[in-house]
Amino acid sequence: MEVLATLAAMLAIAVLAIVIISVAKKGLPALNADLFTQVTSTFGIPGEGGGIKNAIIGTLIMTAIATAISVPLGVLLAIFSSEFAPPRLAVVIRITLNVLAGVPTIVIGVFVFGLLVVGNGYSAYAAGVALSIVQLPVVARSTEEVLLLVPSSLREAGMALGASRARTVLTVILPTAVGGIVTATIVAVARAAGETAPLLFTTGIFANAVVTDPTKPMASIPLVIFQGSESPSPHDQEVAWAAALVLLVGVLIGSSLGRLLSLRSRRRIEQTR
Amino acid sequence: MPLSGRRRTRYGDLALRGITGLAAVVLGLLMVLLVYEVGREAWPSIQEFGASFLTGTEWNAVTDVYGARDLIWGTLITSLGALLIAVPMSIAIGVFLSELAPRAIRTPVTMLVELLAAIPSVVLGLWGILIMGPFVAQHIEPFIIDHFGWIPFLDGYPSNQGLFMAILVLTIMVVPIVASVSRELFTNVPSDLKQGSLALGATRWEMVRSVMIPQVGGGLVAAVMLGFGRAIGEAIAVTQVIGGSNSRPDSLWGPADTMASRIAAQYAGTATHLQRASLAYLAVILLVFSLIVNLTAQLIAARMQRRMRGAA
Amino acid sequence: MQKLKSSALFAVVLAIVALAAACGSSGSSSSGSGGAAASNDKALNGAGSTLVAPLISQWAPDYASKAGVTITYGPVGSGGGIDAITNRTVDFGASDAPLSSDQATACKGCVQIPWALAATVVTYHVSGVPNKLKLTGDVLAKVFMGDITSWNDPAIKSLNPGVNLPGTHITPVYRSDGSGDSFVFSSYLSAVSPDWKSKVGASTQPSFPTGQGAEKNSGVAAAVQSTDGAIGYVAVSYIAADSLDEALIQNAAGSYPEPSTDAISAAAASATGIQPDGSIPLVNPPASAANAYPLSTYSYAIVPKQSPKAAALKKFFTYAVTDGQSFGPDLGFPALPSSVVSHDKQVIASIHP
Repeated sequence: MEVLATLAAMLAIAVLAIVIISVAKKGLPALNADLFTQVTSTFGIPGEGGGIKNAIIGTLIMTAIATAISVPLGVLLAIFSSEFAPPRLAVVIRITLNVLAGVPTIVIGVFVFGLLVVGNGYSAYAAGVALSIVQLPVVARSTEEVLLLVPSSLREAGMALGASRARTVLTVILPTAVGGIVTATIVAVARAAGETAPLLFTTGIFANAVVTDPTKPMASIPLVIFQGSESPSPHDQEVAWAAALVLLVGVLIGSSLGRLLSLRSRRRIEQTR
Repeated sequence: MPLSGRRRTRYGDLALRGITGLAAVVLGLLMVLLVYEVGREAWPSIQEFGASFLTGTEWNAVTDVYGARDLIWGTLITSLGALLIAVPMSIAIGVFLSELAPRAIRTPVTMLVELLAAIPSVVLGLWGILIMGPFVAQHIEPFIIDHFGWIPFLDGYPSNQGLFMAILVLTIMVVPIVASVSRELFTNVPSDLKQGSLALGATRWEMVRSVMIPQVGGGLVAAVMLGFGRAIGEAIAVTQVIGGSNSRPDSLWGPADTMASRIAAQYAGTATHLQRASLAYLAVILLVFSLIVNLTAQLIAARMQRRMRGAA
Repeated sequence: MQKLKSSALFAVVLAIVALAAACGSSGSSSSGSGGAAASNDKALNGAGSTLVAPLISQWAPDYASKAGVTITYGPVGSGGGIDAITNRTVDFGASDAPLSSDQATACKGCVQIPWALAATVVTYHVSGVPNKLKLTGDVLAKVFMGDITSWNDPAIKSLNPGVNLPGTHITPVYRSDGSGDSFVFSSYLSAVSPDWKSKVGASTQPSFPTGQGAEKNSGVAAAVQSTDGAIGYVAVSYIAADSLDEALIQNAAGSYPEPSTDAISAAAASATGIQPDGSIPLVNPPASAANAYPLSTYSYAIVPKQSPKAAALKKFFTYAVTDGQSFGPDLGFPALPSSVVSHDKQVIASIHP
């Protein structure tokens, strides 16, 4: 039995290693200067394009838009849930966030498509909104966790000194929790950067050029990977592997960083008890 | 304290309460809007087919007739198939990480298993199509077909796309979810219970089976349901490897399709308005499925927590 | 100290929001200033057919250097193109399949401009089997309906007497997305096989009874290449680009023409005329066209008659059907017949802001 359990764990790690190594092996050779200086090309014209510059910029911009929406909203939600809401309402909010986290991202894509894209066209804004919906439960739940960790002694101290609830929250609780909020943001960014389904519906058609206007659709790394994965051209596949490598490195670093930071900030908060 | 100060602080309180409360209202609105909008997009198809959509087998843009039965079947087979492999594996990993592994490697290995969950599904799909697919089609599928082909569903022709590939990819996605939860649950089983059982002469396996699993039973079920929810909703990696076909395959190796994968494949270019609405109808079904699975998981988890708090 | 931290936090949050807003407003102001027309006419967005995508890829840089207008094109499949232009999420759509009457109604006053001439080619990948296998429409229909399942079936053998055919299982590969090539392929099979016509019919998204689906021409090419025994259909440019094997299909005259520009032009020459809706069907040319390739097709640009970007669109389409045609032959697209070009010019003239 021990043997089976150990084997199972080894298998899981082996798969992880195989995926990462495959991406690295296939992606590294294509990781040249061209990748970052050239834009994407649709039907591989030799000498032109063949890079992912516009996809990287697009992903950065759309993730930034999404994070700018989900972090303030999520933090406010967490503050309400942990500080102001009556306990029953806080439970309802938590349940709702968990439900939202369980909604398949393809359904979110269909939702945002009907809401924002029909009649208006593809845009980075629509993509940002779709991604922010995916991020919201992540940010709100993590932030609430951190806020609840802040010992009530701090809260009571603030109130005893005559500060209003608001003041206590803003000047005592939030700063203590800021580490956790930053962590939640990092994890949310890593999450949004890798999502593909919401992008299919909001920025599925994009230009082979650098676009910085968020009212227009932009190329994105996940879509470059998606399209390259279904292409017979070895060059398209190479670009897909390289883009996958870039994405994987970013996402894995972000997730690991997020996890390490959350452990650390949790320890620090507990020290204030 | 000056009166003006108190009034100021009350406004501050009100303002913060108001803004944060607004955030909660936004959340509520979002959920309502989500259900409404997806339902609205699906309405023409719901009107046209009603409940017979769930049992219809035709998905035909020429005759404009759509039915989801084969897609629901595909969704269930791939998700349940993934669970079949993933759950025992995850429990084993949970046991390994909570009981068997030397303490020094527990945290790093846990982090590694959880990193599996962080791999974007499109990357997993890319790897699935270009590397895992050919490998499995050339080495694993022929082996199984040769030795177990007498079992009705297991004969057929090896292919690097199809039901089996989708199951494998979904398994990779579900394992980290269930494994990390089971690890946490197992770690929280009071050690006196575990020691007691071992002291009475039980083997490790007997201890796990008769003490640990019953103790965390509810939590495990909740974790499995979360994994299930993840699997039924996955569109991208599945559509990359499942070989989107129109009907049920004759064997595990044949091409199939799931609800999520069908939406991803066809939403951009529907031939008729009713087809677009039918794809939205699929999204409605997925939404309902995921709601039921998620709420059930939360209910079970909450009940378990109450029990543990009571026992403590 | 605490005050500083909290102020810092809020400052950061405000900064992010402000940055996002600034990016947005600067973006929209750059497209709004100087009159909407100025920047509007500097960029045209299109989406649709993957068949015509290689040609558009050649047009885009050339047209940009000649007219200073950027063409953005999303090869999402003909179905997606029709969808996109119907929802006005793009400036023009591209489809190898003409609009059905339902789609025409939904598109609200759209016109179709045949701007490229090409073909759909049957491709296969069977180890041990050479290129240019001969097939008839009837055999093809049976394969895609699942009635013929191995490569050494007598029906295929009799068409290819000297070829050593293995017993490999046939895996039909079809387009799972809304595809003009699917329309051409299924129209052809409907024309030559009454069985196919009654069981499956012609559409951009036929309900194929057997086989596996792949998205876009590139997806089908990839799927066929990676599966021994696979057979599928792709647009003509993908054959050369990806070095795929092509099957020769018997035409109504009994010969097996290669999908060369001459054979496609022969099919175009045999066309009976332009339909009232602006489409020109070319599938299954009559026996009088001895060397016509049976799965030829026009590809259409679909655009609303009334468009805010009318001026830019008219210039682009005029370029496409005249100068742009010079890029065609290298990709397997013969030049448009002059009669079609004159017709196109008339349609283009009817586009107004």
